[in-house]
Amino acid sequence: MKKIINLKVNGDIYELAIEPWRTLLEVLRENLGFTGTKKSCGLGTCGACTVIINGSPVLACLTLAFEVEGIDILTIEGISQKGSLHPIQESFIKHGAIQCGHCTPGMIMSAKGLLDKNPHPNKDEIKKALAGNFCRCTGYKKIVEAVEAVSEGK
Amino acid sequence: MTIKPDKYSVVGKRLPRVDAAIKSTGEAKFSEDIILPGMLFAKVLRSPHAHAKILNIDTSRAEKLPGVKAILLNKDTEEIYAAPDETVLATDKVRFVGDEVAAVAAVDEDTAIEALGLIKVDYEPLPAVFDMEEALKKESPKVHEFYDDNIPDNINVSFGNVEEGFARSEYIREDRFVINPTHSCFSEHHMCVAYFDSSGKLTVWTPIQSSHFIQKNMAYNFKLPENKVRIKIQNVGGAFCGRGSDRTYHYIAALLSKKTGRPVKLRFTSDEEFLVYRGGGKYIMDFKTGVKKDGSIQAVYGNFTIDSGAYLATQFIVLRFLALNLQMLYKVNNAKCEGKLVYTNNPPYFFHHGAGMVAMRFAFGSQLDQIAQDLGIDPVEMNLKNAVTKGYTTPSKIHYASCGLSDCIKKTAKQSNWKKKYGKLPKLRGIGIGCGMIRSGGKGMFLYDTSAAFLKIQEDGTVHLFTGLPDMGQGSYTAMAQIAAETLGIRLEDIIVIAGDTEVTPLDIGAISQRGTFTTGNAVKAAALDARGQIAKLAAGKLETKPSNLIFRDGKISVKNNPEKAMNFSDAISEALNSTEGRYVMGRGFYNPPITAADPKTLEGNSSLAYSFGAQIAEVEVDPETGFVKLLKMTAAHDVGFAINPMAVEGQMEGQIFSGMGQTLYEECLMENGQVLNPSLLDYRTPRPLEIPEIESIIVESNDPYGPYGAKEVGQGPIQCTSQAIANAVSNAIGVRIKEVPITPERVLAALRSKDRDSCKP
Repeated sequence: MKKIINLKVNGDIYELAIEPWRTLLEVLRENLGFTGTKKSCGLGTCGACTVIINGSPVLACLTLAFEVEGIDILTIEGISQKGSLHPIQESFIKHGAIQCGHCTPGMIMSAKGLLDKNPHPNKDEIKKALAGNFCRCTGYKKIVEAVEAVSEGK
Repeated sequence: MTIKPDKYSVVGKRLPRVDAAIKSTGEAKFSEDIILPGMLFAKVLRSPHAHAKILNIDTSRAEKLPGVKAILLNKDTEEIYAAPDETVLATDKVRFVGDEVAAVAAVDEDTAIEALGLIKVDYEPLPAVFDMEEALKKESPKVHEFYDDNIPDNINVSFGNVEEGFARSEYIREDRFVINPTHSCFSEHHMCVAYFDSSGKLTVWTPIQSSHFIQKNMAYNFKLPENKVRIKIQNVGGAFCGRGSDRTYHYIAALLSKKTGRPVKLRFTSDEEFLVYRGGGKYIMDFKTGVKKDGSIQAVYGNFTIDSGAYLATQFIVLRFLALNLQMLYKVNNAKCEGKLVYTNNPPYFFHHGAGMVAMRFAFGSQLDQIAQDLGIDPVEMNLKNAVTKGYTTPSKIHYASCGLSDCIKKTAKQSNWKKKYGKLPKLRGIGIGCGMIRSGGKGMFLYDTSAAFLKIQEDGTVHLFTGLPDMGQGSYTAMAQIAAETLGIRLEDIIVIAGDTEVTPLDIGAISQRGTFTTGNAVKAAALDARGQIAKLAAGKLETKPSNLIFRDGKISVKNNPEKAMNFSDAISEALNSTEGRYVMGRGFYNPPITAADPKTLEGNSSLAYSFGAQIAEVEVDPETGFVKLLKMTAAHDVGFAINPMAVEGQMEGQIFSGMGQTLYEECLMENGQVLNPSLLDYRTPRPLEIPEIESIIVESNDPYGPYGAKEVGQGPIQCTSQAIANAVSNAIGVRIKEVPITPERVLAALRSKDRDSCKP
């Protein structure tokens, strides 16, 4: 039943034998140990599992691993390089945009997806880009401020 | 934001959370991230009926499925009760759609799900009851056999004399208010990993607000010594007062682990979350308030009918809270509370954000606002006139050693430009005020309200701080580290917090009843003072002064009024260790508010030493075509005593305003015959980023004499004000009072139509 797949995660290639119905989220977390990508609703409603595929934010819970074979997959573990945090991560920390932290990795990946394509978004563009990410703690105000600060180089 | 004088160097500062970096990278572990060798996955078989007899359960086919390791039925649950009225799995009867009937542990989730499909249960459906008023009728089906009236809990308590109060009143209003069921929507679902190892020790990884309670209860239920139950709270993905204690799923996972000798993970899916979550149930609230013509309250009567759903569990605390709260915000000399919890075949409820008090504040605040309108009194003045003040003692003997309520009201009124706006806004725009309060601590809810803390100092002067207080996002690790750092005179980054592991950390009742900053904060301060006392003794000798003459600050120990005479904190620690005595500095402390808990019958007595207060002013715009209410701005003030971390305080205020806005305008579990019709975030609408209102947070500091550095709670105080403020603003905008929450577009349109009808009457 299992088939061999080559997944390219954060620049490294992993050869795995998995069932074809396994989601990217399950494979990332359970087979590869990338638990930074969080599992929440499993239905595509909350955005906690957001990863970047080919430069765009994608919900890993709605993506079959086989759909993304050989394609560049970037997870939260791949955005901080050589021990230093990504500017979006720094900004979330500085602006108090993190509370329970469960939605944070997905939120940061959505923000990165936006800023990579549009480095200077306005407030509405930021809100729209984060609308698929569910946060129950913060009220989003400091999250939007944190993303805004990155775009303004603060 | 107030600028603080440099009285302190760590507390009072806008410092980033101590756990922010690892949360930003996803390294921070949640219970879901626990993966153990040989771990099995559990799934629960749930009742499709709201009320039915179980005639037979046949597990023979499921047992034969390869990969199935254990099947759990009620007979295997060691007669454990997860709550007084709730067994771990259904006995001979199911009581709601989703009630737990059987559980399976298998090598993976897919196998466990397949096995559930192979279990055959024969049910005999019974008549069910979903409406509280129906449930109260004599002939209605009984949800539990041991109650003959579907009323598992009720209250009838008075403070002062309401009859006299109403007789003295010059204006009396009676209204019925309703709030509908809501869902907590934690980002991290309910889940549990349990492992009975070969030494007989039970370890449980689960997101919960108190490791202490669940340890105690699981030890009792499994007849284990308490030190053989280890609860490890990881990071917790939100709690909002919905993760108070042990629930059936903790026992299901543990029993399956006991049966198989392997670790078992049980996690609920999105639609199961709406069945097991225990958010807020429906409240019907009849309020009667009597005032003098000047607006001063003479008497209040509240009658609460609350849907408990199929099981009561720990909901019995709510009626006591409600009764006390009738006389805690305003100077009300005469208050009476009647109320009952009602069993139905709806899912069991508990609380959503705000501990049930938000509902009551919505009702009371709406009625008071309407009375102000009826009498032509400005609602801000009405609130100020009745507001409790510092030094006030309520009829139930609750005493306020600090109180910034009037300050909060005045500041929000000023910042929101109330005077220029109230009654002067364009059509369909409205402004409204809401006030609230809550206690910091839970004396009386528990046998003891104790928090303990412990710290050890390494030779280089860095510290490990141990506390039982979990961080569900509220920022308690950071607040505790700031208190310890300030007291020891070192930097925040010199402290690592280890929390919520019953094998390592000392006793703490937990992050319940807004007690963290106040109670555990005091324990942490005591532990740091204990360590500081030991260091001071040695440093005083070196610096040739008395220990009481020393100042600990910024990594230095210096002599008062002689800053030249100083030594490094780390040198003092090292010297202590290298002295003949060889002292290793460890500090320990505990705190329990030194008061006698309120009498459980009369409710008289103080339930905490510190109470927080707040006011919020909402501005809304109503779309007459769609009925949609947009919250434009919320001006919020909260008296936190002292802000240990102003950035975190703002975060708490903003989050609660957003959550309160959701409860008031958007969120409702739509129920039909005991089924939740909208069990996902797609259908259960909550606000998202595009709906963020403008929020202005004002921190009021009344410096509580008992709080650590003067601090009180901010965990659930702000949300007490939100619902009523928005509801009052809506009423101000459309000229009709909507008495049912959420104020959805449908309800607004219905209200507008009824207004049109009324205005057409001859």
